[in-house]
Amino acid sequence: MQNVIAFVEHRKGQTRKVTYELVTEARALADRLGGKAHAVVLGNGSTALAESLKTYPLDIVHVAEDPDIDAYLLDPTIDYLEAAARAIGPAVVLVPNTMYGRDVASRLCARLDAGMTADVTGFEVENGRVGCVAPKLGGVTITTCAFKNCEYGVVTVRPNSFAAQPGGSGASIEQIAKPASKTYAMKIEDEIEEASSELGLEEAPVVISGGRGLGGPEPFQTLLKPLADALGGAVGASRAAADAGWVPYSLQIGQTGKTVSPKLYVAVGISGAIQHKVGMRSAGTIVAINKDATAPIAEFSDLVVVGDAFAIIPELTKLVETAKV
Amino acid sequence: MRIVVTIKLVPDLNAQKRIDPATKRLVRTGMETVLNPYDEYALEAALQVKEKLGAETTVTLLSMVPETSKETLRKALAMGADDAVVLSDETLAGSDVAMTAAALAQALKKIGFDLVICGGLADDGSTGGVPGALAEHLGVPGLTNARHLEIADGRIKAQRETDTGYQVVTVSLPALVSVTMAVGEPRYASLKGIMGAKKKAMTSLSAADVGFENRAPKTELLSFAAPPARTKAKIVEAPDGAAGAQAIFEFLRERKLV
Ligand SMILES: Cc1cc2nc3c(=O)[nH]c(=O)nc-3n(C[C@H](O)[C@H](O)[C@H](O)COP(=O)(O)OP(=O)(O)OC[C@H]3O[C@@H](n4cnc5c(N)ncnc54)[C@H](O)[C@@H]3O)c2cc1C
Ligand SMILES: Nc1ncnc2c1ncn2[C@@H]1O[C@H](COP(=O)(O)O)[C@@H](O)[C@H]1O
Repeated sequence: MQNVIAFVEHRKGQTRKVTYELVTEARALADRLGGKAHAVVLGNGSTALAESLKTYPLDIVHVAEDPDIDAYLLDPTIDYLEAAARAIGPAVVLVPNTMYGRDVASRLCARLDAGMTADVTGFEVENGRVGCVAPKLGGVTITTCAFKNCEYGVVTVRPNSFAAQPGGSGASIEQIAKPASKTYAMKIEDEIEEASSELGLEEAPVVISGGRGLGGPEPFQTLLKPLADALGGAVGASRAAADAGWVPYSLQIGQTGKTVSPKLYVAVGISGAIQHKVGMRSAGTIVAINKDATAPIAEFSDLVVVGDAFAIIPELTKLVETAKV
Repeated sequence: MRIVVTIKLVPDLNAQKRIDPATKRLVRTGMETVLNPYDEYALEAALQVKEKLGAETTVTLLSMVPETSKETLRKALAMGADDAVVLSDETLAGSDVAMTAAALAQALKKIGFDLVICGGLADDGSTGGVPGALAEHLGVPGLTNARHLEIADGRIKAQRETDTGYQVVTVSLPALVSVTMAVGEPRYASLKGIMGAKKKAMTSLSAADVGFENRAPKTELLSFAAPPARTKAKIVEAPDGAAGAQAIFEFLRERKLV
């Protein structure tokens, strides 16, 4: 496993920050392993996106545009990705740890007879062997896991864990040959955008999260959203808020919901039950705004402001907006 | 129609979880073991389908666990599953995602299925890798992260959650789905359900029974450590909004977050 392949998640050629983190780390890891750094970009818009990735220090960007890739869920994507990986040879494949990325990684793992490590935040290399570092068990343990008995290792990488750094002298672009034709079963009939933010919760560098203390659905829009926008982040919620129907379950952070580890997590009116804690405790900085100084959230926060969130947040939003201009 | 729900058994949320330095495996004894919370949603989704489609539909549980933990599955039988199959074998201890998915696939081929329903994430390993890998091994459509399911005439229509919304995908059975918690709150077991569960069948299969022998995991835990400790929180009383906002803003600036 000398080579490194970054799988580029995008939509019609539009991609997000995690892509640049992945391709930058692909280079760094390939150098430590003495191999080449590759990226794979598939589907509508990938030729243009591959062209723009030339500003990153990759060796080869593999592309395929085929209407099937966009029309069907996963199967054609996995076919092309497998074809590229087989042509490249033994490799570590980096995939973003997003909802889509996890699907790609798990399917690819079975297809390539590969090992899989998940939610990885760092790499250690010893004697040419890759150790994947990941927080586990709700953040109480940091594990280092390596591959064995396999030619490929598939890694889901936690967004915001690696720096994105342009550079290099321009990758070459190669077309992936069309895999043997197949009939695909999972036709995407409809695709509906619901989120108020472009950024998935798991990718957001800042998460502003609300709980029971917000008292209803409106403050998520009127109070938290403007602060999230000002800080370039996304809005999340506790189980209590999702159970009350104030926000959809897709925003719930914690056990049976999403695990996030943004650089900044602001918990607003959230008591900090263990169900919530396991989904956010490995965030970089945790700020709690709570009326109750003894709420459990105080035990794993960096700053606790005891006061009225409804008064504090609009003022804070103004300060952040002013600082930006 | 036969629905199979995959259920992992995991340490209770409040248990002090730790890894044994000698075996490099999660310690699973001496603490309460529970149904993986996510898998209760998978079971709830299965029971909803069964209610709709009627008596010809059966719900079977499939769990790869040590024989000694299998009684925990009674709770899922009490919720309404019809029977359980336990894949249990010393050679499966220490399984990783790749080995778990391959072993479960063999078991599923043996017992037969029209629809497999998985949880989205296990509370302990939390890779989320098993459902997708399982669909691949089975060679059936894998509709992961479904928040709503409709089944009619041998077809399943799912709303699949994405990072920014949802997709609609319809496939013919057999298929695999994994669910999100939006499918509905898992039901409680009734007293009748609890009494009935004691008599429900639990079949044990060995690795040899499902034709899964001489396999090895593809990952290995090299080491583990406690995360760097967070220093004790700074606590600021905010008499008004402006003071609270100022305190947070200063703090974020110190940490270069604004
Ligand atoms: C701290 C820790 C770290 C680990 N890191 C890794 C790693 O990096 N790579 C790796 O390959 N393995 C890892 N493992 C091992 C992994 O947890 C187990 O192999 C497990 O059997 C499958 O993965 P999962 O727990 O992530 O399940 P997930 O993929 O998160 O589970 C999703 C769903 O699959 C079904 N399912 C999963 N396991 C079973 C089962 N035994 N029986 C029935 N249904 C099941 C359930 O429906 C579940 O909701 C780790 C384990 C621990 C304790
Ligand atoms: N004796 C066993 N029989 C069947 N499955 C097991 C056995 N021991 C552990 N497992 C499963 O293997 C995976 C890894 O478990 P562990 O090695 O205990 O972390 C989990 O899915 C366990 O449920």
